[in-house]
Amino acid sequence: MGTGVTDLKRKNNVKRVRTSSASKWRLAWRNRDYYVLLIPGLLFLLLFKYTPLYGVLIAFQDFNIFEGVRGSEWVGLEQFHKLVQSEEFGRVFMNTLLISVYKIVLLFPFPILIALVLNEVRLMFFKRTIQTIIYLPHFLSWVIISGLFVTILSTSGGLVNNIIQSLGGEPISFFVSNEYFRSLVVFTAGWKETGWNAIVFIAAIAGIDQEQYEAAAIDGAGRIRRMLHISLPGILPTVVLMFILRLGSVLDAGTEQILTMYNPVVYETADVIGTFVYRIGLGKMDYSFSTAVGLFNSVVGFILIISGNFISRKLLKRGIW
Amino acid sequence: MERLTKRTKGDLVLDTAVYFFLILLGVIMLLPLINVLSKAVSAEWAITSGKVGILPVGFQLDTMKEVISSSTFIRAFGVSVGVTVVGTIISILMTALTAYPLSKRLPGIPFIMVLFIFTMLFSGGLIPNYLLMRQLHLINNLWVLILPGMISVFNLLVIKSYYESLPEALEESARIDGAKTYTILFRIILPLSMPVIATIALFYAVGFWNDYFGPMIYINDTALKTLQLYLQDVVMDASAANAVNKSVDDLMNMSPEGIRAATVVASTVPILFVYPFLQKYFIKGVLIGSVKG
Repeated sequence: MGTGVTDLKRKNNVKRVRTSSASKWRLAWRNRDYYVLLIPGLLFLLLFKYTPLYGVLIAFQDFNIFEGVRGSEWVGLEQFHKLVQSEEFGRVFMNTLLISVYKIVLLFPFPILIALVLNEVRLMFFKRTIQTIIYLPHFLSWVIISGLFVTILSTSGGLVNNIIQSLGGEPISFFVSNEYFRSLVVFTAGWKETGWNAIVFIAAIAGIDQEQYEAAAIDGAGRIRRMLHISLPGILPTVVLMFILRLGSVLDAGTEQILTMYNPVVYETADVIGTFVYRIGLGKMDYSFSTAVGLFNSVVGFILIISGNFISRKLLKRGIW
Repeated sequence: MERLTKRTKGDLVLDTAVYFFLILLGVIMLLPLINVLSKAVSAEWAITSGKVGILPVGFQLDTMKEVISSSTFIRAFGVSVGVTVVGTIISILMTALTAYPLSKRLPGIPFIMVLFIFTMLFSGGLIPNYLLMRQLHLINNLWVLILPGMISVFNLLVIKSYYESLPEALEESARIDGAKTYTILFRIILPLSMPVIATIALFYAVGFWNDYFGPMIYINDTALKTLQLYLQDVVMDASAANAVNKSVDDLMNMSPEGIRAATVVASTVPILFVYPFLQKYFIKGVLIGSVKG
């Protein structure tokens, strides 16, 4: 095969490559035990993570479940045209952004504040008790949390509505109100995760060199000044990192949370991309359109996370990978 | 070090603000839990007339008994316990074993690492996953709740970086003594990694126990309903009585509110019970996971 010249060239190249790859192979063979350990994990990856990626192709088809991916008709970008023109998708996209931005603006600063405040507590017993209490909701499921808030916000004997009524107001049906539903979503998300999210910042404060505090104290800085000029700058890189990463998931407004809380009455304000994909895909069996919406979501999320990590590496010299 | 400076007026103001803030926070966190607990053990008339706040009114345990003894509750509870136990054991094994070779500097390992991390950033989405499970005949099969979640890449990274932090000399000396790779892994590495493995096991267990999305999509068979699905029926269904499967007679003196509250309490108690024991583990584990780099 081939002419003499290319053969000769190839031989030279091969020789050089082979020595390095041969030693690589030898190294790998000597450590074959390790690779054997990898087989279950790789099979898992192939079957449950990469096979669905192949399934994404149906976003470019008019998928027919009996024909499968191979037999279905290809329609190119038609589903995406439908997506861009769909009024419903526009609304769902706006809901997602709104809920997500509310969550970031209202909930992101809170765990930082909690970490700073907890750092000022000297009574170890009190500190531990508060920590135990504020981490707890993280371990409850969204269904249970919905149950808790349905109970406390109930219009027939719920604590909150009792207070509203005793102050002379009208009872509010939070769970079926387009006006209040988003606030409910943001509040309950805060209730569940605020304490848990504070852990990273608590750890970051614990990592600050104690000598800095001592030096500042000797220079006459009071505790508030030390908090503002040592603790806060000390955790700033962590704060920026967490913020950038949080922005990366801006299209995830909390699918499971909203699924357990919403109902048709509040679709208008509560339907987000995740719940929309579920309703259209599995509810109405529109597999191709739903996959197109999901793919759109994945691609935007991917770009956001990659760029977030890139920015954080440039800015802070560290990222998630 | 605080003793270096005298307590000033500013300190007093700060301390007052700090304790006030944290107590308020603690109350907000606990109030919904206490309220639902009180409703679960209060009389029906007290609940509907809105008399139940922090303390129970007209204490009774009938609703709790009714809920706990309902056959659907017991079955759903059992399904969840089974999925959680089996799922956690399999996940921990898969994750801890896969992480070990990934912590070694060997040819091809960086590439395999990229394969894993990529799935963290990009996924096929709901429908392709659903179609895959259909093809694998896993719909209405409890394995569908376990198999796709066997390895969480985040947990894998945490365990891997823990392995990397163990001193290399440990393995070298074992190798000199004649130990093979698997002996080293099972006799030295895994026992030394118990704190991080316990943490990750906790995360997996909580994940399996709390999963709602998976069962909702893949499980329609009433006999296979998990606790979270059952709870959702009771919590969001207007006629909670239907979900508990009781005749109207039995429920004469129980309000839907009371049943809802009792079901929430019955499903929360297991977590509240194990939580204090697990706390010391997860704090350590989260620190390992979050403050590296």
